[in-house]
Amino acid sequence: MNIFLRELKANRKALIIWSVCMFLLVLSGMSKYTAYSSSGQNNALFNSMPHSLKALLGFGSFDVTTMSGYFAMLFLYIELTVAIHAVLLGAGIVAKEERDKTTEFLIVKPLSRTAVITAKLFAALVEVFVLNIVTLVSSIFMVDAYNKGADISGEIVRFMVSMFIVQLIFLSLGAALAAFIKNPKASGSLSAGVLLASFVVSKITDLTDRLNMLNLLSPFKYFSYKDLVEGGGLSAGIIIPAILLVAVLSALTYFFYRKRDLNV
Amino acid sequence: MSAIEFKKLTKSYGKSRGIIDVNFKVEEGDIFGFIGPNGAGKSTAIRTLLGLIHPTSGSATIFGKSCIEHPQVKKDVGYLPSEVFYYDHMRVIDLLNYSASFYKKDCKKRIRELAEIMDLDLKKKIDDLSFGNRKKVGIVQGLLHDPKLIILDEPTSGLDPLMQQKFFELIRDENKKGATIFFSSHILGEVQRMCNRVALIKEGRIIKLEKMSDLRENNYKRIRIETPAAIDRSFFEMPGVSKLELKDHMVNFLFRGDINTVIRKISQTNIANLLIEEPDLEEIFLHYYEKEGETV
Repeated sequence: MNIFLRELKANRKALIIWSVCMFLLVLSGMSKYTAYSSSGQNNALFNSMPHSLKALLGFGSFDVTTMSGYFAMLFLYIELTVAIHAVLLGAGIVAKEERDKTTEFLIVKPLSRTAVITAKLFAALVEVFVLNIVTLVSSIFMVDAYNKGADISGEIVRFMVSMFIVQLIFLSLGAALAAFIKNPKASGSLSAGVLLASFVVSKITDLTDRLNMLNLLSPFKYFSYKDLVEGGGLSAGIIIPAILLVAVLSALTYFFYRKRDLNV
Repeated sequence: MSAIEFKKLTKSYGKSRGIIDVNFKVEEGDIFGFIGPNGAGKSTAIRTLLGLIHPTSGSATIFGKSCIEHPQVKKDVGYLPSEVFYYDHMRVIDLLNYSASFYKKDCKKRIRELAEIMDLDLKKKIDDLSFGNRKKVGIVQGLLHDPKLIILDEPTSGLDPLMQQKFFELIRDENKKGATIFFSSHILGEVQRMCNRVALIKEGRIIKLEKMSDLRENNYKRIRIETPAAIDRSFFEMPGVSKLELKDHMVNFLFRGDINTVIRKISQTNIANLLIEEPDLEEIFLHYYEKEGETV
């Protein structure tokens, strides 16, 4: 319990900054909605764009002149941002004791490495959840402020549920990488590199249908946001494997951390 | 049961040497010195003992249990690392309370007592402390839960002589209360002052394991002679004499063996002054090192 509280306290300032940034991202994103939706001309403009350009801009399959389509486009950037937070948090929370040379302090306390990781992962889980809720509340308010059509709050909630699972995947990925690689200072940059690679993969598979197998490598593509926009629900066939992936990555974190020779 | 037991402990880091086949015990109630030059493997041995790193082969146990398999055994261990690093942005008292929170006992009173002995300001931020003051935080942090085994890795670096004095008194008091002390150092004087038994480590191997008193009394004498006239070097070249130095009218050497033979030898010449004393550990130690070096 003490490690859990200590981690929450240590990351409090960072979490506040991330929360403010998420709010500002949603705010600035939504404030541009009027430009997209204001006139029917835009629709014609977007339709005349080649698919690859639309895909690179993030709205290959959405109608961005409607609120739900526009939010789906904005959501990709929101999701990327919180994924960066999650992967850095996961890597940092495992690696920080070694990076800051506090391992000797912690490991000579009468508790197992398993207990250390459990406390840290729970603290990270709480932080990821808080950021998700902040994003959810900001999105609902800001969308409501600009929306002239049908209410899409239910859709936003489903988006955020899918985002939470993506956050968990990146959190556990960062933790597992930090527990695995020897140099604690490299874990953050390596995790961020893996995340960017998976984002690039998601952009490549946007451009063409032939590489859809690659989507397995990119948690950004696990959920079909096109279906969500069209009013579909979240599919259990995706949620369950995604949760299993989180479980496997967490188990690997424990496994690697237990076997690890800790740097001091 | 032994407080600490190393059984054929080997730890290698890839190609580089860690420690090789370390074998010894520290009995409960002992003050045990662990001496060797920097880089000999003292910290590696201690970190394996505490479960920070895994042994390549063999085992290291505390009160018969491995720290990795039985983390609860660590509740009786106090540890002072050679370099003290702590969480930034914490006050000393916050850090100590955090440390105390891992033990299921009330340590508040002990924290105040120790801070008073070590003259440590609990309200200061750790970031603002000097190296010596951080070391004091480390000492209080290592002792606040009244551990039964105290492991000290180069404890006195950074402390001024007055604080070292206080620190050694504190450690002796803990030992009188029943705590076992395991003390690594490359400063031989402090080991000499404190310890009952010692292990000498060099290049990852234990080269000598002895009672402090045996080590010192191991027939070694430091002999200094002043002669009225210069004397030929060959006069003192006899079995048992080592480190023979002649300078002006002074003769200086270490002697090991039957003291009568050297006394007879000295009596054959005219001397102005004679001093026979216990060699300090440093001399014996260097002697061991050199011997090792010759055989290699």
